[in-house]
Amino acid sequence: MSTRLDHHGLNEDATLAAALRGLPAETPPTDAWAQLATRTRRRRSTRRILWTGLPAALAAGIALFVAWPHVTLRHDVPAPARAAQSSSPAQASPNGAAPATELAALQSSSAQWQAWVQNLDRNGAPLDGRALAGAVTLQDRIGLIDLQLSAARNPATTADLWQQRITLLQQLGLLHLQPYLVADQTPPNHTKTL
Amino acid sequence: MHPCDVETPTTFQQPVEPELIERFKRGDLAAFEAVYRAFERAAWTLALRLTGRRDVAQEALQDAMLKAFERARQFRGEAPFGMWLRKLVVNEALMQLRHDRLHIIEVLDDDTRSDDAAPPPWRLADAAALDRALNRLPDAARAVLWLYHVEGFTHVEIAEQFGRSTSFSKSQLARGTRRLRELLAPQVEDTPCPLGSTTTA
Repeated sequence: MSTRLDHHGLNEDATLAAALRGLPAETPPTDAWAQLATRTRRRRSTRRILWTGLPAALAAGIALFVAWPHVTLRHDVPAPARAAQSSSPAQASPNGAAPATELAALQSSSAQWQAWVQNLDRNGAPLDGRALAGAVTLQDRIGLIDLQLSAARNPATTADLWQQRITLLQQLGLLHLQPYLVADQTPPNHTKTL
Repeated sequence: MHPCDVETPTTFQQPVEPELIERFKRGDLAAFEAVYRAFERAAWTLALRLTGRRDVAQEALQDAMLKAFERARQFRGEAPFGMWLRKLVVNEALMQLRHDRLHIIEVLDDDTRSDDAAPPPWRLADAAALDRALNRLPDAARAVLWLYHVEGFTHVEIAEQFGRSTSFSKSQLARGTRRLRELLAPQVEDTPCPLGSTTTA
């Protein structure tokens, strides 16, 4: 930066610094603290929910992951045969009851994961730029799956799509949890302090 | 007294009771409010000067305060508490600018020239005029001017904050200063030079 003098012999930098420092301090909006306090309480409440609900949610996810091969094995019927089964109510009754139950379970699980993610989205920590981009990508993929679900007729395909939806919701949820994991797990020797 | 004769310490440097910091670190909401009240004007002014917009400044202020509260245990007391908080406010304000992509593409016109012989117009301008001119600067130039002149950041520190080179910081400072001179000049061209009065010299 220039240190030239003006025609009064004063340093330009110094006069600008003094002029800027001389500007009066601004006053924040009067309700700023109320908003901040509300936000803080909400985040505390979310954290409590997270740390009490997270183990249960993860356990449910692991259980689903472990159980999934058994669920999919029941669908290892050639697609045309399944189509025939599903098109015939008389045949669907003995064999179709289980897939229908499993489908309902997947839909219910998806709804639970979605509610969890929405709660995190509303009340959790704001995402940084990279996480935000990741979240948008995941949401796009979920939207695509929803589109495919609306057109899917094959029960096995439908179940597979619901499972994919759940997996994406889990990934989205973990993305929202990252700020908390980073904040709580940063080792002291890596902490940037002044 | 003319502002150039004053070394105004930033209120971020105000002392904070150790007991208050301990309560703040333990997550005491009342302590959080006390800290907020102590630094709200300094933090708000800084956020507003860096972002140039009240809505963006409000986001930056809230996010910085929340981060301070949630990461309070990371404060080790190696620098004054206010300076630790100031760093968070700067980070959040610049992050808000990056999110809004307000400053990335703005480049000041290099061809403009000012009258080097003229006295710096900020010496003659009143606070309101300087405030208006500052707000008309592009985001990066305004933020660099403020960090350099008011907060005392070095070019290296500014470059780190922006994730750019020191050349970026220096050029934004030079261009911002020139632009500020241009913005203020028409308003004070007929104002008599105050030198000779008793307030300066």
